[in-house]
Amino acid sequence: MSAYREDDAAQKTTSSVPVLDLRGVTKTFGGLRAVSDVTFSVPERSIFGLIGPNGAGKTTLFNLITGVYKADSGSIRFRTTDLGPLKPAQIARVGVARTFQNIRLFGQLTVLENVLIACEHKRKAHLLSALLRTELFYRDEEEMKNRALELLAIFDLDKMADEVSTSLSYGNQRRLEIARAMMLDPKLLLLDEPAAGMNYGEAEGLKTQIRWLRDRFELTVVLVEHNMQVVMGVCEDLHVLDHGETIAHGPPELVRKHPKVLAAYLGEDADEALDAEAEAAAHAGQGAEEGDSAAPETTELT
Amino acid sequence: MPRTLRRAIVTLALIGLMIALEFGFERVVTDAAWRQLALAAMVNIIVALSLNVINGMAGQFSIGHAGFVGVGAYTGAVVASNIHIWLFIHHRTESAPLFQNSFLVMPIVLLSAGAMAGIFGFVVGLPSLRLKGDYLAIVTLGFAEIFRLVIATAQTGGDAGGGISGALATLGGQNGYGGPDVRTILTTVTDPEVTARLNTYENGGVPQYAGPFWIFGAVVVVALIAWRLKFSGWGRALRALREDEIASAAVGVDPTRYKVTSFVIAAVGAGVAGGLLASMRDGNPTIQPDQFTFNTSFDAITMVILGGSGSVTGAIFGGVFVTFTVKMIEQLQGLESVQALKVQFPSLDLNALRMVVYAAVLITLMILRPEGLFGERELFKKARTKKSPSSNDTPDKPVATPVPEPAKPEAT
Repeated sequence: MSAYREDDAAQKTTSSVPVLDLRGVTKTFGGLRAVSDVTFSVPERSIFGLIGPNGAGKTTLFNLITGVYKADSGSIRFRTTDLGPLKPAQIARVGVARTFQNIRLFGQLTVLENVLIACEHKRKAHLLSALLRTELFYRDEEEMKNRALELLAIFDLDKMADEVSTSLSYGNQRRLEIARAMMLDPKLLLLDEPAAGMNYGEAEGLKTQIRWLRDRFELTVVLVEHNMQVVMGVCEDLHVLDHGETIAHGPPELVRKHPKVLAAYLGEDADEALDAEAEAAAHAGQGAEEGDSAAPETTELT
Repeated sequence: MPRTLRRAIVTLALIGLMIALEFGFERVVTDAAWRQLALAAMVNIIVALSLNVINGMAGQFSIGHAGFVGVGAYTGAVVASNIHIWLFIHHRTESAPLFQNSFLVMPIVLLSAGAMAGIFGFVVGLPSLRLKGDYLAIVTLGFAEIFRLVIATAQTGGDAGGGISGALATLGGQNGYGGPDVRTILTTVTDPEVTARLNTYENGGVPQYAGPFWIFGAVVVVALIAWRLKFSGWGRALRALREDEIASAAVGVDPTRYKVTSFVIAAVGAGVAGGLLASMRDGNPTIQPDQFTFNTSFDAITMVILGGSGSVTGAIFGGVFVTFTVKMIEQLQGLESVQALKVQFPSLDLNALRMVVYAAVLITLMILRPEGLFGERELFKKARTKKSPSSNDTPDKPVATPVPEPAKPEAT
């Protein structure tokens, strides 16, 4: 799993189709190319990292995959399903779950209710059944509640099932968000900066958790993360973006030495850095490549 | 099954109570003005409960609810009058509406009124609910005003012509609708027996079939539906949607679908209220476009917000409270001291004074309880989410790699 391979090679070595397959995905906002011709595929049950400096287009890419934005060109496939024409809710239903960079829980709802929302679409009893309060409605509600409580127990949140979700601690809120995503029975989980706001110890814990999640729920995990300790420790494959463009792809040990990656990450200090020569050159080359279109983002970096 | 049995008993008891109210209401509340006020409050409760679905539960700000009430009222009035005349001709009933006939008329009236308002709700909601922000408010307000003005400005009299303008003319324009014109019907009738029968018809306006039985009954049914909507997965999804649209879409709740559905449900409720309004015995057997101005929408919003957005019992309370407060303030005008004041200062506008007092009441309430009297809570709500017995033995907790608690700092 950890060896670097081209996309074509990946197709041959893994028997099944990749869980997620992006081809030439491009998204522009006005004159800004937020995501530009990005191509990669994520093999089944891998942990895949999407990294890059601020404004590189990582979260935009997540939003494209989950249908919040529509790509201008290129295709995004989940297994054999083309996600292009689907709406966010439909994408969630086919098995693509996500968490958000700044936790998005349903604040006024209880912990249990938060999780229940994620299986609302699987309900057998429909509106009329709910109005008539048929047996099916009660059975359905009971089943859903039991499943939700089981899931909460797995995440050790069952004791606070009736608490309002905003009253939870930060760590518990993050876990609840993942629990809620897991209620969808997803095959692909997109984690947007799960380590945000965590200290060293917590980040170490997170690494175990991500691996455990993958094994326990037979998932494929794609994560966007800034925390290199987590990224390098847990990801089997990395895809590096800068200014919306792919600058490197491969296993962590290769990517961390890649000159363009170093330039992208250390570029902002390149002027003052003592051993900046090589990186400065690389950075300059990069800048010329980007041209004027990426100017707003460049200012953010320098 | 005990649950089925319990429901059957409760339903029968309620029907009994409604029938008792139908015949005994005059004796319980002897004053006719209070009786009318109580029935008006009931209709307002239905308006508030239905608006609460879209404004309170779904969190979409609709300010054109009067439009849907109006659609329901006109539909109900047309349907009720025509059935009434049909009954008069073919079943030799009296000119005055009879209680036993209301069991034929009222279900059709309420269903058609609700359905027509629901169709309008769908047509208005489908495009506007896809948009974000205040567009819905603007569109709904526009809809209500267009509806009212189309009817109010319709050309009546002989030169109305055919087609849509002719159809609109039969709704009576600014003067209001008071049942179909018997003379027009006579021109189309060939059967001499029917003609003779029709000639004896005394047009009493829209037949007033909705007695206390139907009005109180409708309140109970609508309140039950509102309650069950709120405390179902559907209501839960709506609350989630109100909290965070993007997150709900990310867990499979389609915002547009839920919003349009709730908008249609709200419109249907408003239509039912309109159907009742058309046929209730409030001493006004006609329906006028002026009954559905922006003020009516605004009153409905006041009821919902006063009671507490999203709260079913709050909407019921708000409906009663606003109806009676407005009435109470009107009564103030009759007080001797106020009349004396009027004599002393002839320029004093008592109507304006009424609005000042009403505003003061609202402002005071909003300062004291900004979230409404009930907030989103309910009266008579028992604690929910009791744990199911079977849920405790199954969970397979990870033993070796505990997800729980972000591991304590080991190497800081």
